[in-house]
Amino acid sequence: MAKIIIDNQEVECRDGISVLQAALEAGFDVPHYCYHPSLSVVASCRLCLMEMKMPHPKTQELVWSPKLVPSCQTPVKDGMEVRFDSEVVQKNVKACMEFLLLNHPLDCPVCDQAGECLLQDYSYRFGNAESRMVDRKISNPKKDIGPKTLMYSDRCILCTRCVRFTEEISGTGELCVVNRGSNNEIDVFPGRSLDNPLQGNVVDLCPVGSLIDKDFLFKQRVWLLESTPSICPGCATGCSIRIDHADNRVYRLKPRYNPKVNDRWICDEGRFGWKYVHDKRRIVSPIVRRGLEQTTPNWAEIPEIIRFRFEEQVREQGADKVAVVLSPFMACEEAFLLIRFIRRVAPMATLVPGPVPLEGDDQHFPVGATGDAVKFTILSEKCPNRRGIELLMKVSGGPALEFDEFVERSGKGEFSAGWIVGGYPKSWVDKGTGKIAGNFELLVVQDIVENDLTAGATIVLPACAWVEREGSFVNAAGLVQPFDRAIDPPDGTLRDGQYLYEIAGYGGLYSQERVREMMAELLPTFSEVYEAPEPPVHAH
Amino acid sequence: MAAFEPILLRNVGVENSTSLKVYESRGGYRAVRKALKMAPDEVVKEVKKANLRGRGGAGFPAGVKWGFLPKDRTVTLLCVNADESEPPTFSNRVLMENDPHQLIEGTIITAYATQAQTAYIYMRGEFHEQFHILQKAIDEAYAAGYLGKKVFRSDFSVDCYIHRGGGAYVCGEETGLIESLEGKRGWPRIKPPFPAVEGAFHRPTVVNNVETLSCVPHIIERGADWFAGIGPAHSTGPKLFCISGPVNYPGCYEAAMDITMRELIERDGMGGGMLPGKAVKAVFPGGVSMGVLTADELDMKMDFDDPANYGLLGLGTAAAVVVDQDTDIRVVLKNVARFFGTESCGQCTQCREGTAWMYKIATRIANGAGRIEDLDILLETARNMGMMPGLSICGLPDGATYPIETIVKKFRGELEEAIRSQPRGRVEKVLSAAG
Repeated sequence: MAKIIIDNQEVECRDGISVLQAALEAGFDVPHYCYHPSLSVVASCRLCLMEMKMPHPKTQELVWSPKLVPSCQTPVKDGMEVRFDSEVVQKNVKACMEFLLLNHPLDCPVCDQAGECLLQDYSYRFGNAESRMVDRKISNPKKDIGPKTLMYSDRCILCTRCVRFTEEISGTGELCVVNRGSNNEIDVFPGRSLDNPLQGNVVDLCPVGSLIDKDFLFKQRVWLLESTPSICPGCATGCSIRIDHADNRVYRLKPRYNPKVNDRWICDEGRFGWKYVHDKRRIVSPIVRRGLEQTTPNWAEIPEIIRFRFEEQVREQGADKVAVVLSPFMACEEAFLLIRFIRRVAPMATLVPGPVPLEGDDQHFPVGATGDAVKFTILSEKCPNRRGIELLMKVSGGPALEFDEFVERSGKGEFSAGWIVGGYPKSWVDKGTGKIAGNFELLVVQDIVENDLTAGATIVLPACAWVEREGSFVNAAGLVQPFDRAIDPPDGTLRDGQYLYEIAGYGGLYSQERVREMMAELLPTFSEVYEAPEPPVHAH
Repeated sequence: MAAFEPILLRNVGVENSTSLKVYESRGGYRAVRKALKMAPDEVVKEVKKANLRGRGGAGFPAGVKWGFLPKDRTVTLLCVNADESEPPTFSNRVLMENDPHQLIEGTIITAYATQAQTAYIYMRGEFHEQFHILQKAIDEAYAAGYLGKKVFRSDFSVDCYIHRGGGAYVCGEETGLIESLEGKRGWPRIKPPFPAVEGAFHRPTVVNNVETLSCVPHIIERGADWFAGIGPAHSTGPKLFCISGPVNYPGCYEAAMDITMRELIERDGMGGGMLPGKAVKAVFPGGVSMGVLTADELDMKMDFDDPANYGLLGLGTAAAVVVDQDTDIRVVLKNVARFFGTESCGQCTQCREGTAWMYKIATRIANGAGRIEDLDILLETARNMGMMPGLSICGLPDGATYPIETIVKKFRGELEEAIRSQPRGRVEKVLSAAG
């Protein structure tokens, strides 16, 4: 720990960080554009310049140096004294803001970034009401630099965060600076396209409205969005994300800082992997079938119906004829509740982990990096909670089966009652699996959209997407990470956690914390979940 | 005053001066043989003692620079800065065109002093002919065993390569040069680390100007005391001065640094006076980036210290361009602003935006649509861009602002008068077109 003085305040800071980082962590609002804690330092925006006390060349007495120094580039040193609140420092920020706005189109009314734009924020604080430049502005073009991203060069302030990202994090190096001086522009190298699997991060990194996500373009004003912290279910990495939503619709996903998992990045697959949430074909109400009769009962009746039908099956066919498929898309809490219910009605029920979707190989970034040099990983295991389900199955004991075996044995009619949880974002029921539905006397299928299993099920329960649920996932590294619900499920649908809570015999409202307390008694792993720390409020 | 005997330019005008044979016949490659018998530290000490200040523009003592190299280094690189781009400077060109072996000898001695085994000559892209001359000389030196393995049959080996630049002013800045040498965009680096600690390819690197290195053989051969005895106390040794503009004999001349700007224009064997009917209006004495002198300020000494007394940034490249009384100062302002507006690398906010803005304002003033407040905006912009101590990564904005500030301050009367005599309505018309 080093002790430094910032604006007459003593601040304790971690060793080895920059003065800017120390100031941000201590809550000082130091304007900056090019600095980013996860990228190399270029010190080119010149906004974070500070005054620093240095020994006078002649007297060696500590005096304020006449030269302003970049705080992003200056490491903290015990006993150093710096200031940001002095007139010269403030004057420099004002001058920089005037310079940056000279050629800026000031098209905030049609800019997606408006409302979360550092150029706006700082110009409110430091800018002039009117430009002193009366000459024609340089207007660089809007460019289609990749399948998912647009580059409005005229809004760019040349912080080069995006260029450094492609060099240092994705390792793909598609972006570069072309031309010279005030004609500088960010562009893709000739013949290339910004299409790496992490490219969406450059939009998040851009402090202004220069890099724009085509998917979000003109969709919503950001001040109307509400943000909910969540965990990405796209792969077993379990990146911390933020769900930006409004009017019960998801508009975009953004990465959330998580030093143990994803730093400040997410992949495109995760970023754009939420579209199924608003699929028009979603199952929105429970269906109960008996013979040819099909009803959609009131939710209040569902726990009673399900309990009755399972007890009936156990009575008639025996407790060992029951099997439950637990999906790796379930939250631990939901899986726990389902196991608890089934073990109550059928203590010898077989537990089956749902199929784990695998796609390609694990992808490490920067491209070609190994070992400690890896900064981001997209796993081939495309589900968030295989480990959570395994943990719960292990602690629950009793008979267990692999999914393939389960399909095979149900094909032979070995189980009379079953409960299959789907909830996969992509279609997951192949022909062989779909066929088994007919072999059950009682089959509960919980899924998002209709498929061969739901068609043959006796009871269909709508499953919710993770943005509508709450609970926790256990990622590939064994970290238990909770996520909040962001939006309500479609009308007529109840959250999985809530109906499972009721089916398991509990009254009142489901909450992940309440269920986790029960889980912790069985498995201490769940007594502590990992919640990523909030980054400093003024760090951008 | 005794006539100054050329040292650096002594071979200029000699037939076949670029050949190894002629260079050696005139005493060349003696100094390096002497240096190789000295300890490297002794060579450094000698250069320090001579107080050889860098000829590239900043005037930093070369020996001191070499002293910054870490003691425990294993690899050292030497970069010769031949990216001569400061308008209107051509002294390095004269040296390379006429006496390439002098530079090569200086390079070998410096490489030995700093224990560099590789020397890169970073040459301005526009130097075509000079490249071939220098390359031929390098080939000759290799063939003679003066470059390569165990030079002059000593234990010291050094390789020398020419790297040709792409034509950017900023690549004359030492870290811009290093980036460009590495094959990257010529954007100056943030310091620390300084090149002496971590320069090209992450190795300790020394960067020196062509003229600086051309002085080194003479210091070794004739001694530090001899060198230090030439010129004023803090500006020792022979210096090349360029003069261009409406003088009788534009060219590159050698003198001690005790001459004045007026002498450079007037003296026989130098500028030789103004062309008939021309009078001095203004002079940029050190390359445009140092700032401007009025006709009343010509008694400025062309040394490292006196320019500051005239509001200038420094001696710079000691290349003077004379502006005559018939030239509109507004055009001068525009030309200067254009140079920096197109040569800023665009990395730092102030320089990227400021140079372009100043160019726009200066263009409008030159087009007869200036406003009096534009002059104040120019001055304020110059200050906001940072003038000694600068606010940016490199010194380019200092050099971009000094000429603008000194022109506006020293020629304000003329500028205001020109603006006031513009046709009425001109400003409004131009501005409305700018939209």
